[in-house]
Amino acid sequence: MTAQLIINGISLGAVYALIAVGFAIIFNILKFSNFAHGGFMTVTAYVGFLATRFWHTSLLWTLLIASLAGGMLGIIAELVAFRRIRNNKGPVIYYFVSSITLGMLLENLMTIFFSTNFYAYPNFFPVATVKVGQLLLGVPELIMFCISSLALIILAVLIYRTKLGTALRSVSYDVDTSGLMGINVLRIIQLAFFLAGFLGGISGVFLGISYTLYPQLGQLVVKGFVASVIGGLGSLSGAVIGAFLLGIIEILLIRLVGSGISPVFIFVIMLLFLLVRPRGIAGSHIQEKA
Amino acid sequence: MNILEVKGLNKRFGGVQAVADFYLDLPEKGIVGIIGPNGAGKTTIFNVISGVYKADSGQVLLAGRDITNMEQHRIAKAGLGRTFQNIRLFRGLSVAENVMTAIDPLTKYNIFSALLSLPGKFRAEREAREKALHYLELVDLIAYKDWQPENLPYGLQRRLEIARALATGPRVLLLDEPAAGLNPKEVIDLIELIARLNRDLGLAILLIEHRMEVVMQLCQYIYVQNFGKTLASGPPAAIQCNEEVIKAYLGDEE
Amino acid sequence: MELLASVLTFTAINVVAVTGVFILTGLTGLFSLGQGAFMGIGAYVAGLMAIKYNFSFPLAACGAVVVGLIAAVIVGLPTIRLRRDYISLVTLGFGEAIAALLNQSVNITGGAMGLSGIPKQTTLLLAVTSAVICLLLVWGFKCSRYGRQCLALRSDELAARSMGINVNQVKMVAFLLSAAITTYAGVLYGFYTTYVEPVMFGWTKSAEWIIMVFFGGINSLTGAVVASALLTGLPEILRAAAEWRIVAYCVIVLLILNFKPTGLFGEYEISLLSLLRPRGNRIREGEGS
Repeated sequence: MTAQLIINGISLGAVYALIAVGFAIIFNILKFSNFAHGGFMTVTAYVGFLATRFWHTSLLWTLLIASLAGGMLGIIAELVAFRRIRNNKGPVIYYFVSSITLGMLLENLMTIFFSTNFYAYPNFFPVATVKVGQLLLGVPELIMFCISSLALIILAVLIYRTKLGTALRSVSYDVDTSGLMGINVLRIIQLAFFLAGFLGGISGVFLGISYTLYPQLGQLVVKGFVASVIGGLGSLSGAVIGAFLLGIIEILLIRLVGSGISPVFIFVIMLLFLLVRPRGIAGSHIQEKA
Repeated sequence: MNILEVKGLNKRFGGVQAVADFYLDLPEKGIVGIIGPNGAGKTTIFNVISGVYKADSGQVLLAGRDITNMEQHRIAKAGLGRTFQNIRLFRGLSVAENVMTAIDPLTKYNIFSALLSLPGKFRAEREAREKALHYLELVDLIAYKDWQPENLPYGLQRRLEIARALATGPRVLLLDEPAAGLNPKEVIDLIELIARLNRDLGLAILLIEHRMEVVMQLCQYIYVQNFGKTLASGPPAAIQCNEEVIKAYLGDEE
Repeated sequence: MELLASVLTFTAINVVAVTGVFILTGLTGLFSLGQGAFMGIGAYVAGLMAIKYNFSFPLAACGAVVVGLIAAVIVGLPTIRLRRDYISLVTLGFGEAIAALLNQSVNITGGAMGLSGIPKQTTLLLAVTSAVICLLLVWGFKCSRYGRQCLALRSDELAARSMGINVNQVKMVAFLLSAAITTYAGVLYGFYTTYVEPVMFGWTKSAEWIIMVFFGGINSLTGAVVASALLTGLPEILRAAAEWRIVAYCVIVLLILNFKPTGLFGEYEISLLSLLRPRGNRIREGEGS
């Protein structure tokens, strides 16, 4: 029984990890919390849905279309909401407000176009569950876990093993010096937004599958935020660890106290973490120079 | 009597030992300088003394009181004022208000007085503003009291930083490269200002500088840092002739 | 005239809420996405006190504000000393937690069905008087050592600490004050609409106020008030375009951020000619009096 729960938790954690990492990428590069990420997820979830409606796409194609849409959305967002602030060296405060506003804009646009009806993805999975030894595993959860993990592994390889990834990491340490070293900072930032949007696309479709489709779907991005806080803001690996932890804790809590009240417990856990270990599990303590 | 004593200070960042076994004595009403090439760890010393960084080991004593690793604002209240290598003035506040922020932590009225705008608040505000104007007069910035700090010429911004640090009512003033970016005339004015503050206010001053005329004219004792270690220390005349120092740093900057 | 009274009352209530947000975001530079939750606490706690225990308005209001302050202490204490992003994320989580709590406690709060039957005690006069009083209080805060210290730490926390400012304490004061005022706005709201439900107090509401403050200019209390008056009044009158309203002002805010980031009013404040010296006027290009 517990093993079952833990596996469910891990699967949920994988989806949260996608969300958290999408959020963390932007945080690392531009040093602000991208509150539009929820909006990215909502829009891509609907795009994926439309793909299934009009083109009857399979799961993989839906994911591809939604993620590409997400990536494009990320690039557009960078241009519309953040480029000028960066060029004018505006304070971090402006990025924050811009991202919130963008998020609200996206969510409300979806509300207008799709009203508050609930839509549902078609059932991609011929078989609902599969039995592995003693355990009954949900096929959707299993597949989402595999795809999420694959995406994260590919991302990790990109970031730690390629030249592009090195450029990404260098920009996240110091934007100006990277520029002086010949890195095209604008392209790297666009890449970061593309990746964030791409991951958001995958997350959006998965959330849409798990929870049905409605305009406030993007609000589930809060889980990604909590995962990042627990894992440590500014750390990609922390985001992943935090997300898996969160997934497991949440499943266990739901079992114990029901899904309604679990946000309260999650919040309390987050507060406790901040009291005891503010830097999170894997976060680093960034010291300001005088 | 030493107003500031540093004993065996160590600070490491990852693989880099930024400050190694640093000792310093600053006598009351004295002026002491720290010089050295860039990256020698001079500002790090200031940062550890003023509480921005935590020391790995060592002790800092202010008027005999152990202030090692105390919180920044408590160290400031204990009597240590400082300026910064990169000017850090408060935007959104006028020149006079920038100085007032250093007086504010000590002003008496409480939140309720503030909210309800009780008479006590107005009296305290008036007194605080007068004090602030007094400090502006000390550094000859009184004409600019209502300006926005970012509109001041660079040299005056540096002076404002000094005025603000003075307003904390310190016993020791830490000046981090106060002459950086100043033209020769401004440097002369600065030397005169620091000498005046030291003489008239009896303020002990610890100075990081690259401009040799400032250091040689003002300091009674100099510490030379290189790669975190103290290369040499002594009165200006001795430092000028020190072979090691010349080799490491001085060159022909006189 | 019914409609006009209603619009004015809502505007006044929003002005109260916005002054709370102004202290936290405008002066201190902290973004709380939990202001909606504080309003919810205000409405529900005061409403319940009135319904179940027959508390009078002043008593219920005080009770609600006390609860709001306690919540603010719990949320703020671990979070305020950390970097700014944390306060935003944690208050977001706080909002979710409160919403969940309200939804779940069906027996007490009516859950998702909401709480109805709150006595209608917010009159136009009360709302407007509250707004004026809050404006005076916040103005007093801004033109005081607290306001200056907030602006200082907003501009440069490190330098602020070096000047002896107890940054964590000042942030906490701003946070608590902001929570108290916003909770009170919630009380006014509940006692006007007589019906509240959890979905009214989500983090998008908090985001709306932050946007209002930005619209007018983060450095200007006058701007914040004008913006909230405009942004509340207009949609009520333009009922028909309700759906596009939020889209419209999101677009406007994005435009403002791109082209005039200091907001429509920049740093301008109305100078009170009466007692105070004209310290409210920000002199833009250098020369002063």
